[in-house]
This record gives sequence, C-alpha cells and structure tokens, in this order.
Amino acid sequence: MAEVSLQGEQRVFMTGNEVVAWAAVAAKVDIMYGYPITPQNEIMHYWTRLAPKYGKRFLQTEDEISAGFTMLGGVMTGRKAFTATAGPGNVLMQESCVMAEMMRLPAVYVIQQRGGPSTATVIYAQQETQLTCFGGNGEGHRIVFSTSTHQELFDYTLKAFNAAWTYRFPSFVLGDGYQAKMREPLTIYEAAARGVDLVPTTPLVGEAKPGQFKHLRNTYNTEDELYEVVMANQRDWDAMAPKVVEWKDMHCQDADVVFICHGVVARAAVGAVEELRAQGKKVGLFRPITVRPFPDKQLADAVKNAKKVIVAESAYGQFLKMVDLALCGSKVERVPVLRPGIGITTEELVEEYNKL
Amino acid sequence: MAKVIKIALAGEGGQGVQSIAEILAEAANEEGKNALYIPNFGVEQRGGVSIAYVQISDGAIGAPKFVKADILIPLSPRAVKRTKMHAGKDTVYIYDNSLVQEAEVNDNVVGMQYFDVTPPCPTADEANRDMQQDMIAGEPKTCSFTKPGPGVDPADIPENVKKVIACPANDIAKNELHPRVFNIIILGAIIAATEVLPLDTIKNALEIKLGDKFKANPQLRDMNFKALDRGYELIKSAM
Repeated sequence: MAEVSLQGEQRVFMTGNEVVAWAAVAAKVDIMYGYPITPQNEIMHYWTRLAPKYGKRFLQTEDEISAGFTMLGGVMTGRKAFTATAGPGNVLMQESCVMAEMMRLPAVYVIQQRGGPSTATVIYAQQETQLTCFGGNGEGHRIVFSTSTHQELFDYTLKAFNAAWTYRFPSFVLGDGYQAKMREPLTIYEAAARGVDLVPTTPLVGEAKPGQFKHLRNTYNTEDELYEVVMANQRDWDAMAPKVVEWKDMHCQDADVVFICHGVVARAAVGAVEELRAQGKKVGLFRPITVRPFPDKQLADAVKNAKKVIVAESAYGQFLKMVDLALCGSKVERVPVLRPGIGITTEELVEEYNKL
Repeated sequence: MAKVIKIALAGEGGQGVQSIAEILAEAANEEGKNALYIPNFGVEQRGGVSIAYVQISDGAIGAPKFVKADILIPLSPRAVKRTKMHAGKDTVYIYDNSLVQEAEVNDNVVGMQYFDVTPPCPTADEANRDMQQDMIAGEPKTCSFTKPGPGVDPADIPENVKKVIACPANDIAKNELHPRVFNIIILGAIIAATEVLPLDTIKNALEIKLGDKFKANPQLRDMNFKALDRGYELIKSAM
C-alpha cells in the first residue's frame, strides 16, 4: 500500500484507532492528552507517530483524571485538544466531562467501549452508553456521536471538533473495541478537499484586550447562582439540539417491524434488513447517530406504522431506556435483544425476527 | 445484496494466524473489494487460541463477527475444540492434522495481551530458549511446532458441514520447507478454497509486506511462494 497521507483524499485500509488518529490530524488538532488503556491504546500510539510530522504535540499524564483535566487546560488556552479512553478510564474522566459542561469547554473525548463493570474485559461492549451521555454530577449537556463504520469514525471525529467549538459543549465519539481493532477500507481526506470548514479556536481565559481579563467560573456561592447558569446552559442546549441531532433510517415507512440499534450493532441490522427485505419481509431500521441529543421525534415518526420494534444492544437496557423514553406515547410493542458485552451478528437478528 | 465470504482462522498464539488474516484482507482491499478483518483479542499472553475473522465482499459488510463461517480453518487440536460454534452446514472445514505440541496454558490465563508482547518463537527447536530463563521459571510455556504433540481427536471434527479437508500444513512446512512458512501454506489453502482472489494478488501483497526481507534474502521469496503454491494445490485437488 502506498504511504498514507492527507493530501487531497486517499482510500486506506486500517484499524479504527488509526482512523481516529488520522481524523485528529485532519481536524488540525494541536495536542492530545492521554493515558493508555485497551482497546484505545493505538490512538495514542499512532498520534505520537504522526504528531511530530505535523508539528503537533502529545502529553501522557499519570492517569485518566489528569488526562481529562489537562485537556481542559489546553482547551482554555485556545488549543484544539482531545483525549481518548475506555471502560474504567471513562469513569475516571467523568469529573472533567461535567466540568467541561458547566464551563462550556469544547473538549473532545473518543471512547472505545470495553466490557464492564470495572476492569471486566478489554474487548467490547456498549455498556458505556449511559455513562458517556449522562455520567457525572451534571445534566448531560454533551454531544455524543455513536459511529458504525470506519468512514463514520473519521467523519464524526472531524465533526466532533467542529461541534464542540461551535456550540461550546463537550463532544464525544462513542466507538467500541470492535471498531477500535477491526480493519476495513475508508477514504481519509483533508478537510478543505471536501469543503469542510474547520471551526477556528480561541483562548477562553486570560487577557482578552489589554487590561481586560476573561475568567471562567466553576464554583458558585448560592443555589440561585448555580441555577441560573445551569438553566442558561439548558436553554442553549435546547436551541442547539435540533441542529446537531442526526439519525439514519432504512425502509421504515412501510415496515411492520423496525430494528432500533446504535453503533456497531447497526451494521448487523443493516445486513438483517437487506436479507429479510430480499425475502419480501417488511422490515426497517432506525439508528440514532447522535445518542445525545437523541432523535426522539424522528424515531417516533419512523415507527408510527410499525407493529413491533426490535431493540438490540450490547448492554442490558442502556439504549433501550432511551428508546422507551422517546416512544413513551407509542403503543408499538418493544422486543428487546440485550446482550451485555458480546457482539450481535446479522444471523442473530434474523433469528430474532423469525421468532416474532 | 452481494455475497459476503466469511472466513474464520484459529490457531495457537505464534502460529501466524493474525498475520495471514491481515495479508488476506489487505490483498482483498487492494483488489478493490470490501474487506473486514478483526482479531479476537483478550488478555492471553502466550499460548491460548487466537482467532481471526475475515469477511470479503463486493458489497457492504455487516457485523464484524459472525456465527457460521463459509471457510473455517482451525490449526491446532485446541483450536478445533474452540471453534465448534462456527461450523455450519455450508462450512468448508479445513483443519491441520499435523501433530502440534500445544502450549501449557489455558485460554483463560490472565496476563498481558499477546498483542503487547513479543511471543517466543514457537518454530525454534526449543520454543522458549530465547526467553530470559529466570523470568519464565515456573511459568507456563509456549507451544512448539517442531515437537510432535497428540494431534486432533477425530471425535472433535464436526460432522454436518459441507466438506472436511485435512491438511498437514505444519508437517509439510517442517519437513519440506521451513516451519516459519507454515502460515503461508494455509494462506494458499484459503485462496484455493474461496476462489475470491487471484493467487497473484496474494503474491503481490506478500511482496509488499515482506519486500525488505525478500530483498535481503531472495531465497525467502522462493520459499514463501513455494509454500503458497503448495497450499493452493493441496486444497485445489481436494475440493
């Protein structure tokens, strides 16, 4: 294979972790802060190889708590920064995540989910869906993109930086160990080659004009003071949500049965829908790309003619809760397929359909 | 919907299962096909069964793993036991009936990932000799492909599959070529069984992957290509 570069665009064949590192280069990231944990280690490995070639930097910290907070420090000074983690590392990073929510810091986190709780497996799960959307003592003011292919991993990593710096909410790319470690083809590109504008960064603290200093607060003296800030953030969030929400649907309008999945599991559902449609079965697929904000109206609309929905995830009901909330006014029957920590294949989803 | 060819390879850590899966998937990609390769990765340090899943198609590829393989290739007695769930009625089952000495560890051994460590060379006469002996004293030892082992129990071979082919790749490598090209024989066998890629594409991929080594030692190229052809012919005549 020819040497990989970001000149124009290039079809490449690589692991998801490598894809994330290249996407960060394409996003013109200044610095990555990180602490190693499987299955995201290679994001750091590739970044440390690529960064010097592009005049970029890397800081390895003593743990994930520190990786999260040093990233916030970098962001405050106007550096485009990110970190990547998984599993227990994601748990440790939560304090920095909620601080980013409260202080409106455009931090970017890449999460390659592994099996939990605690150390559990280093392999795969979708058990960090709730944690990534709502972890910490905040209101979940975070943009979370759940990717399904390597192409999306590249596209949405790029997008996460733009979303973060446009709306000043922390943004997350929610991948998993399978996406991290598998290899498949995709096209990587220079942002300019595809007409993607990179949102410029700016220092958020320090001397704005001579004699004028910008400060950010994270401590409040009274309940009311806090309330006003959180409510202002909530209003911004509500105004932003329709602009960033993304989803994909397939054959939903005439479907009797709709699969609802997110992330890598949606790949299995695409296969199942194609196979069952070829047999003349009326099935469809709805897949939120942003699991936060959740495309609730779009989901309710997609399943309004369906009799049943099959909700499949590699966790025990974390995603199902989101679906249930979105469909609380709907009578459509929910059939959960809940497999914490293991993958879900096309064959298994076809089998679940045939059991209905 | 384009057909997706599903290939599962399983072997002892160090047999080179992941390397050939990667070469196969990269060659398919170079050929303009869609390919997806994922290793099973866990916390095994050395020994243990390593599985590689490869899918090749002209269309989109779904989930990264699958239940039933079109081609299932277990390369050690333990890999035969471990991959039973992937054998179905449409599976072409190719197993190595050489007498391979397995590692002295169980699959659930806890240590560092085998990805993060350099495993001792199982093709050396004494597999663990290149390790610091005081570091591995009392520890489980890696497998050896040069010492004979008990071999596959015929009772473990699944019955209701499309075709079963025994392929003594390890013995051929050891006796006729070199233990190190064992996995290249298997690569040739896969090409013959799937007919998904021309043999020349694989030769080209090997040339890219091992180009530097071939340049330093042209004999290595001959040996690898000979192994590839040997594996190809072996399965071609059996199919």
